[in-house]
Amino acid sequence: MNMYLHELKAYRKSTIIWTLSLIAIVVLFMSLFPAFSRDAEDFMKVLEGFPEEVKKAIGLSFDTLATILGYFSYAFLYIKLCGAIQAMNLGLSIFSKESRDKTAEFLFTKPVTRTQVMTAKLLACFTSLILTNLAFILAVLGTVSMVKTEEYSGKALLMISGSLLFLQLIFLGLGVFLAVLLPKVKSVIAVSLGTVFAFFMIGMISSSTDDEALRFFTPFNYVNDYYIIEHLRFETSFLLVGAVIIILSVLTSFLVYRKKDIHSV
Amino acid sequence: MNVIELNNLTKMYGKARGITEVSFHVEEGEIFGFIGPNGAGKSTTIRLLLSLIYPTSGSATIFGKDVVKHAPEIKKEIGYLPSEVFYYDNMKVIDLLKYSASFYKKDCAKKIKELAEMMELDLTRKIDDLSLGNKKKVGIVQGLLHEPKLIILDEPTSGLDPLMQQRFFELLENENQKGATILFSSHILSEVQRLCDRVAIIKEGKIVQVEKIRTLKENNYKKFKIETVSKVPDELFSRLPGVNQLEVKGKTISFIFRGNINHIMQKIAGIEIANLWVEEPDLEEIFMHFYQREA
Repeated sequence: MNMYLHELKAYRKSTIIWTLSLIAIVVLFMSLFPAFSRDAEDFMKVLEGFPEEVKKAIGLSFDTLATILGYFSYAFLYIKLCGAIQAMNLGLSIFSKESRDKTAEFLFTKPVTRTQVMTAKLLACFTSLILTNLAFILAVLGTVSMVKTEEYSGKALLMISGSLLFLQLIFLGLGVFLAVLLPKVKSVIAVSLGTVFAFFMIGMISSSTDDEALRFFTPFNYVNDYYIIEHLRFETSFLLVGAVIIILSVLTSFLVYRKKDIHSV
Repeated sequence: MNVIELNNLTKMYGKARGITEVSFHVEEGEIFGFIGPNGAGKSTTIRLLLSLIYPTSGSATIFGKDVVKHAPEIKKEIGYLPSEVFYYDNMKVIDLLKYSASFYKKDCAKKIKELAEMMELDLTRKIDDLSLGNKKKVGIVQGLLHEPKLIILDEPTSGLDPLMQQRFFELLENENQKGATILFSSHILSEVQRLCDRVAIIKEGKIVQVEKIRTLKENNYKKFKIETVSKVPDELFSRLPGVNQLEVKGKTISFIFRGNINHIMQKIAGIEIANLWVEEPDLEEIFMHFYQREA
């Protein structure tokens, strides 16, 4: 419990900053919606000139862009990018900081097992992300209801914005996995930005080519917002793949972490 | 009872040597010195005892329990001070110490205060702002605040001024009298000589010798350098028992002597000398001695 609280406190500031940033993006995007929907037709004309692939890649879908859910889905692509960076950063940082800040000798000479250390850290990550997501969803519901021009499916909105947590857990898992597996993580931000952007690019390619197989390779496309708007449900196969990734990366991290040599500085 | 027991403990880093078949034991209530030059394997051995790293082969027990299997249980009674102390920045000294104390199921508030007063450590400062020596003090308080039965110190005196070193040694002697066993690793012979009952000497990953400090002192190593007026035959000193690492360069003769000092002085009195130096050999030179004898 003491380790959990310590970690939670250590990441309090970064959690607050990330949460506020996510909310800021939501507010910024959604506050433009009234103006956008008023001139939607003009916008559409401009956008029609874009090649189809580009429109798909940056998340524009014509049929729905003028609706509030469609517009939100477009904004959500960039929120996902931020959220993924936050989660991956958190996982990488919290599991590599003992060796980066050279505090391993402090923590691992205390009467605790490696499993206890790992559990406390994971729970702290989980709590941070849950708090971020709660604040984020509240902000989404608030702003969307303020700027809406027509009725929309609240369930779809909840499902879409709730899928952020799912994405974040995948990237948290990847971050933890990398932190435990790599001998030494010198720069957290370099590794996390690199990984997240690589997956984001794959996601753009997959969207623009409508390549279903490629979708499996990028967590960004496991949840298709337009599919949710249409069918009001997730695609099971992708949910499963995501869950498997989370479970596998956390499990292997546990196994490696328990047996890992903690090297001196 | 043996507090620490190492049985052929071996650690390889891939193909590189860590330590090879290290065996020795530390008895309850003693201050045990662990000396060797840098890179000899002192820290590796200590990190194995603390299960920060895991052995390639062999085993070790602390309080009769295997260090790998019973690590968390053993560590309740261990206080550890690493050679370099790093702590979570952005924390005040007292917060760090409280965090450290929270791992042990006892009230350490009184002990923290007592130790901090003795080491003149300001508890309200931020750790970032502390000097190396003051960080070391945090390490000392942190390592002792739960009144451990076994204190493991890895080159603990670096960064402390002589006065604080003195205080620290008194503190250790105090804890020792109260029943704590101490494993003290160092490459400074004089510290070890002052504190320890027995020492293990490690070189290139192997234990060269385990000896009582008393014996080491009785052995009385001296480093001689003699400048003679005229050249003397080489055999003059080389035949003498106890002479090691003899070097003759023209009229300068140097060697390390171990044994009855009178014998060597009589020999020197027999020749005409221009100058004479008799010094305490440093640790490295004694090691050379051990090393050569092994070979």
